Amino acid sequence: MIALQKKATLFKKIREFFDVQGLTEVQTPSLLNTPTTDVYIDSIAIATNQEIGQNTCKYLHTSPELEMKKLLSQGSGDIYQICQVFRDNEIGERNFNEFTLLEYYRLDFNIHQLMSDISALLRHLGIYDEVVKMSYAQAFSQFGKIDILNIDFESLKCIALTHDLNIDFEWIEDLQMLLFVHLVEPCLKDLPVCFIYDYPSEQSALARVDGRIAHRFELYLLGVEVGNGYDELQSAKSYQQVFALENTKRQQINKPSFELDLEFLACLEKPLPKCSGVAIGIERLASQLFAT
Amino acid sequence: MANYSTSQFKNGMKLMLDGNPCSIVNNEIVKPGKGQAFNRVKFKDLITGKSLIKTFKSGESLESADVLELDMQYLYNDGSAWNFMDTESFEQHAIDDSSMDDARGYLVEQDMCTVVLWNNNPISVTPPIHVMLEVVDTDPGLKGDSAGTGGKPAIMNTGVVVQVPLFIGIGEVIKVDTRTNEYAGRS
Repeated sequence: MIALQKKATLFKKIREFFDVQGLTEVQTPSLLNTPTTDVYIDSIAIATNQEIGQNTCKYLHTSPELEMKKLLSQGSGDIYQICQVFRDNEIGERNFNEFTLLEYYRLDFNIHQLMSDISALLRHLGIYDEVVKMSYAQAFSQFGKIDILNIDFESLKCIALTHDLNIDFEWIEDLQMLLFVHLVEPCLKDLPVCFIYDYPSEQSALARVDGRIAHRFELYLLGVEVGNGYDELQSAKSYQQVFALENTKRQQINKPSFELDLEFLACLEKPLPKCSGVAIGIERLASQLFAT
Repeated sequence: MANYSTSQFKNGMKLMLDGNPCSIVNNEIVKPGKGQAFNRVKFKDLITGKSLIKTFKSGESLESADVLELDMQYLYNDGSAWNFMDTESFEQHAIDDSSMDDARGYLVEQDMCTVVLWNNNPISVTPPIHVMLEVVDTDPGLKGDSAGTGGKPAIMNTGVVVQVPLFIGIGEVIKVDTRTNEYAGRS
C-alpha cells in the first residue's frame, strides 16, 4: 500500500472507531482572534483584510482545544475532531509548523478510562502490543532513581549537574522535563505502547490538580511522544488563572504576552461538564504504526 | 574557535565537550508537547572512542574542535611510537603507543590508514577495513577441512589473535576484517 492510502485508511479507521461509539465529529474554526498563551507554543499570526481597510491580526489555531471546549460547555456531548494545526518555531525530525491532530473528549471519563479507550483505539488501528502504564513518579524512580514529586529545585539542579546537564532554568518544571527527556524517554524506546500519567502539579497545563498531582497523561509509542491528555479543568475561573500564569511566565522569558481569550471565558460561564480529553499527533501515530 | 549552536548541529560535526574533541553521531530535537525544545545528541569521544549522550536546551552552543581526518601511510614502529606519513604533504607524524587502541594489531607497513589530528596532534588511527596478516603461530592444519566448520585461534605477525579455519597453517597470509577481527579469506 502506498503511504497516501495508508494514511487515508488510518483516517477511515479512526472515524469508524468513534462513530460506532456515538461520538460526534466536529469542525471548529482554525483562524482565531486570540493566540495561545501556552508558554512554549507559539501561534502563527496572519494579517487579514488589509486591502479592504479592516486590518485585523488573526492567529492560526495551535490546537482545537478551546474551540471544542466551547462546544462541550454548550452541551455538545462526546466529540472528536481531526484537523490541521499550526505552530510557529517548530522544525525538526518530528516537529513541523503544520501537522494533523486528532482531538477528542469523553464526558464522565477520568484519565484511566480515557487511557483504556485509547488502548482500544490503538487495537482497532492494528497495534496489539502490551500496554504499559507507569506514573511519572514511577518512571523517574525506575529510570533515574529520583523522587520527582518530593525533590526541591536546588536538589534537582545538583542531580542534573551530576548528569552534566544545563541547570540554567527559571522553573522546576523545565528541569523536570530536561531530566525526563535525558533519563526517562530513552528507556521508553523499547515499549511499543506506554502511558505516563499523574504529572507533578507544576506541569498541570489545563489538567485538574490534586495536591502534588496533575491528572494528566502522555502516550508514548516506541519512546516517541504521540498524545497528551487531561482530566479537564471545568470553570472559567480555573482557565483564567492558568492563562494569567502562562502570560506572566511568557513575560519572564521575554516572550510576548497576550490578552486573554474573553470569548472563551465568557462561554465557560456555563462550565465544562466533567470530562477527559486527549490530543494525538496523527503523523507521529502513523509513523510508529507503520514502522512495526 | 567558532561556536556552534544546537540549530547548526550536523552529524559528523566535531565539537569540544568537557575538554575532549567529540564528533556528533546523531542529533535529535525533542520538543515536549508542553515544554521547551531540547536537543538530545549522541557524541563519539574522538580520544577514548566511547559514545555518550548529552541533552541540551535548544539554543545552547559548543566550541568547535580543531579536528582533521587525514589519509596517511603507516611507515614503521620505532619502539615507542608509530610513524605515519601524510602522502600529500609528506609530513611525518609520530603517534604515541597509548593512542593506538586496537589499531596496533592491524598495522602493516605501507598500508593507508585514517589518522585523526586534534590541534595538529594525532589522537586516533583507523586501519583499512581489510589487511593482509601472516600467521606466526597456530595448531597444525588439517587437510580437507573447509571454512565455516568451527576454526582455531591463530596468532598474527602483528600480535593480534584471529579465529581461522582449521586448514590455515603457519606462514600463510590471510585477509582480516579489522572492524570485526574476523578471517575474511586467503591471499
